Formats: sequence, C-alpha cells, structure tokens
Amino acid sequence: MTRQPRAFRLDDPEVVTVRADQDVPERGASVVVTEEPMEAIEAADRALVPVGERRGFSWGGVLLSAVGALVLLALGLGLERLIADLYVSAPWLGWVALALALVALVAFLAIVLREAAGIFRERRIEKLREAAIDAVAVRDHEAARRVVRALIALYGERAHTAAGRKRLTAWSEEIIEADDRIALAERELVAPLDLQAKRAVANAAKQVSVVTAVSPRAIVDVAFVIFAAVRLLRRISMIYGGRPGLLGFLRLARAAFGHLAVTGGVAIGDSFVQQVLGLGLAARISAKLGEGVLNGLMTARFGIAAIAVCRPLPFLREEPPRLGDVASELLSNAERESSLR
Amino acid sequence: MSFLTDIAWRAGSTAASLWDAGNQLLYPSLRLGVTGLARSGKTVFTTALVHHLVEGHALPALRASAQGRIRRGRLDHQPDDVIPRFPYEEHVAALTEERRWPRSTERISELRLDVEYERAPGWRQGPATLTLDIVDYPGEWLLDLALLDTDYRDWSRRTIESSRRPQRHEIAAPWHASLAAFDAAGPADEVVAERASEAFKRYLAALRAGPEAVATTPPGRFLMPGDLAGSPALTFAPVELERDVPIAPRTLAALMERRFDSYKNKVVKPFFSEHFQRIDRQIVLVDVLAAVDAGPAALAELEDALDQVLLTFRTGRASFWSNLFSPRADRVLFAATKADHIHHTSHDRLEALLRLLVQRATRRTEAAGARVGTVALASVRATRETSVRQGWETLQAVAGTPEAGERVGEEIFDGETEAAIFPGELPERPEAVFEGAIPPGSLRFPRFRPPKLPASATARPGRLPHIRLDRALEFLIGDHLL
Repeated sequence: MTRQPRAFRLDDPEVVTVRADQDVPERGASVVVTEEPMEAIEAADRALVPVGERRGFSWGGVLLSAVGALVLLALGLGLERLIADLYVSAPWLGWVALALALVALVAFLAIVLREAAGIFRERRIEKLREAAIDAVAVRDHEAARRVVRALIALYGERAHTAAGRKRLTAWSEEIIEADDRIALAERELVAPLDLQAKRAVANAAKQVSVVTAVSPRAIVDVAFVIFAAVRLLRRISMIYGGRPGLLGFLRLARAAFGHLAVTGGVAIGDSFVQQVLGLGLAARISAKLGEGVLNGLMTARFGIAAIAVCRPLPFLREEPPRLGDVASELLSNAERESSLR
Repeated sequence: MSFLTDIAWRAGSTAASLWDAGNQLLYPSLRLGVTGLARSGKTVFTTALVHHLVEGHALPALRASAQGRIRRGRLDHQPDDVIPRFPYEEHVAALTEERRWPRSTERISELRLDVEYERAPGWRQGPATLTLDIVDYPGEWLLDLALLDTDYRDWSRRTIESSRRPQRHEIAAPWHASLAAFDAAGPADEVVAERASEAFKRYLAALRAGPEAVATTPPGRFLMPGDLAGSPALTFAPVELERDVPIAPRTLAALMERRFDSYKNKVVKPFFSEHFQRIDRQIVLVDVLAAVDAGPAALAELEDALDQVLLTFRTGRASFWSNLFSPRADRVLFAATKADHIHHTSHDRLEALLRLLVQRATRRTEAAGARVGTVALASVRATRETSVRQGWETLQAVAGTPEAGERVGEEIFDGETEAAIFPGELPERPEAVFEGAIPPGSLRFPRFRPPKLPASATARPGRLPHIRLDRALEFLIGDHLL
C-alpha cells in the first residue's frame, strides 16, 4: 500500500517537535516530529574532496638532471677513449669493445623503456582513481562510463575477470546512476583483487612478526621489515595491475608513506583499543613477541596504505580494509598465547 | 528567399562569434546559460549562485572553495549597456527579509560576476579572475526557440493537432469555435486577425492556468509579451490550412504567415543569437515535481517541450576552432529543482525521473561530445528534514512554512504556520509515473515560503541554505577555477 501525503502542523498541541539529540517524550502527543540535522544531505552525498598534489618546477630537479647529464657525458667520453685505445693496441679488441658497448646501450634503453612503461601504467591507475572520484562527486554519467571502460581495458588481459567484464559491457548502455555504475565495476573487477591484496598483507604481516620474534639481532629485524615492505608494495601493485620498475616503485613508496602520514597510521574505523590491547598483552609475555606483533602491525598498516595508493578506484561501496581484517590473526595469536601462559 | 536569409543570418552569427572570440582573448569570460521553462527557478538559481559567491560562503563540493582558493566574488559592470541589470539585491531582499520568492520575470536582464581566485598549484600560479556572464529572462520565451526550425504551415498544423487531444478538449473549446468561424482565404482584415489572435492568446493562458500548469506551447511572448505587447509581430494565430494548397497572396492566411515569419526573424532570432548562441556552459533547470504533481499528460508535454527547446542549442566538445566560428556548450547539467520538497532519501528517485525525462536530449548531447550531468538541487532550501512518528508509522517528511492557500489533504495553510509535510513516495521505477501507474492524490508537493533565516548580529544578509548548489557549480565552472 502506498502511503498518502499528509501534513502535520507544528503548532498543533498533538504534535511534539524534538531535535535529533533529544529524547522522545513518552506521553502527551500522538505525533512526534524529529528534526534532522541540516547537514544530513551533505553527509549522505559523501562529498569527496580529493587533495590535488602536483609538483612544480624545482631547482633540485634541475641540479640532478644537469649532474646526471655531465656524468653521462663523462661516461661516453671514457668509453670512446677506451674503445679507441683498444683499437690501437689490437683492432679485434676494439671491435669486441664496441659490440659490448652496443649491447649495453640496448639493455639500458630496454630498462628505461620498461621503467617508463611502469610509471605510465601507474599514472594511468592514478588518473583512473581521480576520474572516478570526480565522476562520483558531480554525478557525471559520461565520465562514469569512461572510467568503467578504462577499467575494463586495464584488466582486459586477465582471464579471471572475463565474466565480470562481460557483465559490465552488457550494462554499459543501461541508465544507471554514476556512482552505482562505478560501484558495479568495483564489485565486479576490483573486489576480487581486494581479497588477494588483503591476503598478501596478512601474509606479510605474519611473516614479519614471526621473523622478528625469532631473529637474533635487531639489525636483522630492521632489514627484514624493510625487505617485506618492499616486496609487499610490489606485490600489491602487481595485483591491482601496476608493473612498477625501480622508479615507479619509489614513486609508489613515497605515496604510500605520504598516505600513512596523512591517516596517522590508523586506518579509518579501526578500534584503537584493539591494537593497544593486543600489543600490551603480547608485550607483557615477552618483549620479543611484543616487538614481533608491533612490527607485524606496522607492516599491515603499510600494506593498507599501499592498497589505498595502488587501487584503481576509491572505496565506494566496498569496505576499506581495516587493521582488524589483515592483522586479526596476528592479534588473536598474541591473545591466545598470552592466555596459555 | 528564406534560404538566403538563413545563410545571411548564419554568416552574421559567425562574424559575431569571431568578434566575441577576439574580445574573449582580451577579457576571458564564461557565459553560463541558465535555461528552464517558466517557474523552473531560474531567477532563484541565479540569485543564490551570486549570493554564495559574493558573500564568500563555504561551498564544500566546489573544489576551489573547499581548498580555500576563492578570494572573493564581486558584481561587475555588465558588457551590454542596453539590457537591464539583474536586480540581485532586490531578489535577495525579497528572499531574506520578506520571505517571498521573486516575482516571475517579465523581461530580460543580465549580470556579470567576477570571481577572484588563486590558481591551483601547477606551472601557472598566482591570482586570477574568472568572469561569469549570466542572463535571466522569462522562461516562456525559451519556448520560442522551438519555432526557429519550423514554418507557419507546420506550426499551425501541430498546434491545432495538439489542442484537439481529449484532455484539452474543454480548455480549447472556445478557441476551436473561433477557429471554425475563421476564413483563412478571406481578405486580410486587421480586425479579424486581431480577434483570432486574441482567442488564441486566451487559449494559451487557459492552458497554463489549467491542470497541466506548465507553459509548454509556443509562442512564449503571447504569455509574456515584454515590450512588444500589441505589435503586429505578436498578432497572429494558427489557422487550418489545406494540405498542399499554397497560401494565396493577400489572404488572411498570408498575413498570418508573414507575421509569424517576422515574429521568428525579428523577435526570436535576435533573442537566441544574442543570449543563447554563445554560451559555454549550460544548466537546464526542470521543475520535475510540479509536473509529477500535475499528472502524466503534463510530464509528457514537458518532455516534449524541453526536447524541442534543447534541439536548438549547440553543444559538443569545444575546441579552438569551434570557439572561433561556432561556440558550443561543452558541459550541460540537467537539474531537478526544488529538491527540498522531498526528503533526501528520495532524491535519487527524483534524479532518476529527471534522467528519464531528458533521456533523448542527454543521448544527443553526449553523442555531440559534451559532458552531461544530472543533479537534484534546491537553489534555496526552504525546508528542514524531519522524521515523523505517527502511531506505529515513521514518515520521512520535510518541515517548512507552506505558502498561503496551499492544501494538503484537509489542511489549508495560511502562510504563517509551520508544518511537517509528508509528500508521498516517488516510485522506485521512474517509468511508473509516465505510465500513469501512480494513483491520483498519492503525491502532493505544496509550495513553501523561503526559509526563516536566523538573525545575524551584523546587518549582512544571512546565508541562504541550499542543496547541492555547490555540486552544480563544480560541474559548471569548477574546471575554470583551476
């Protein structure tokens, strides 16, 4: 049955008006009108205001480029001298040196190309995320369609996404809300990757905590934590479709650390108590075990930041991963062990 | 002949765009085309936009404002000296002090707004100014744009056909009677022509006052004549013409045809080419709720009228050459206004309804390469949101001051008492409204008075609340504030 339109006069003695934070009186009125806050609509819209970060011209960059060019020139000159000298002493030696230099050049070019391709791919993913945020913010339907198309292209070569891609293509002409459309793509294409990424983070966190707990020297811990973080970041980037080379990796790492700094290292919606409690319990048992849990948590946090940086879409309908999701095993392990003692 | 005049007109408009482009290089400005039929809220939208930018209110969804880069907005001297200025101060005073909506617009007016902002960090930095040109005009006049591509014969046939629809039978009866008595092949008598035109005007006025409540039949100047009341260009009417029989010279029909053509060429075309041809961004305001309130026939009529009007606008991806020779709107935003009449949980449904209503126009615009967005907004938010518990039932309602004479169920309001109104539920499937699957009386959207603003300590006007005006601005001008 549909509900009929009706009006309630607010000055009617039968009508009681309360604010949202007040209690509803038990008696005295047949109709209770609860005023909702004015910002309810803005809150419901989830106005996403992305922080643009673009770097401008910097003298440091100029310095580096100039010095790099000088070093390259010196190298070239040295090489030329070397080859000329070798040629003088024995012509065949000169030819061998020249061939080697050519092989080295080809390899260098290949590496540069690979690095550039990796960076371009990363930028593509970042652009996609920004475009998705924009499309959702202004409900731009054409932009949403473009985002979904780009996402389909990005994952076009992965066999296991075929079913999801097919469904998305079938929906591409339907009239769907801009954010719904992107949320559909999120569910079909990105959500399975989220699972993989979470698993990778959980594994890395576990490894780090175990290795820290048994390692004999602090320097080994530190080395392993760094090594694990590097591997984790690469792994997550690969999961979401990036192929970072060295430079791309450095970019990503900077972004991930930046993200960590912005979120204060605490993923949204986390119960801080849980972290402190788990840690406190573990630390009471043994300092080493506590350190292990702490390092594991740190790795997990870094992993969450890495997910946020590498993911081609913002978290729309899917829950962003929380520390509890990726490190729950860690924490519960610690609690269990403490209860055993 | 008409072919030649058409070419001449096009050449003239190209020259005008070139001249404009030259000016544009010197003084960059952005023309915002605020379009919408009568009572869709153009004046209030313009007033609210200027209000927020001039008073420097925070607009969170407008990125430049959220990043604190907008320094100030100020009204500037308008470029055209012969067009009245948009009475912004008067409208704000009406809204905030008298708490009434601005009266319906009777003539064209113009406004120029300078927005001073800091550029976003990039290789171009520092302060910059964006100049916004906005034109306000009676919505009825917009209907005339649909006439640009028709001739007299065609227009007569369509107007008479649509008046013979069964729902309009009663309203159109007096006009049909005078139409039957009209001899199109008779001598061109001024008095007869005037009488025919009067009968036609009465029909148009009755149509607007009637249950459809939305003025959708051109010519719009018949309803809102402006300065041209009584001139020959406004004294014509459709007549019944035999198919394939040419109109004989010196007959009444020939007189009517000549006047129709001069109406088109001397009234509509200048209006179009001066104000709509060179717009950069377009917002189309649609009062969806009023049409839903009036029933499926009104909705279908509104859809058709909007489609006809939007056909005349040039949209598409803007490029350097298109800016020089035929400027286009590269972003078009369709906005369902008066979203404050329903609870925000229903805004999605309102938007879905709007999208269905402008579906054809959207497809066309997107195919031309322009970006299209839709939004449910309220330029001035007249209500607060409430939830009402009555017995076991909880209703999502809006509270405000309904205008005097508004009626919901048995209640009739006096324009002073506040009330919480539950307007009924918009259907989940927007098609249901068009199919007439909504039982009459299950939806009611009364008009509200503008909101009561809290008295501020200083004498400045208070902040007019809004819904998603900032989002609309981000879509329309956000990329020019980078």
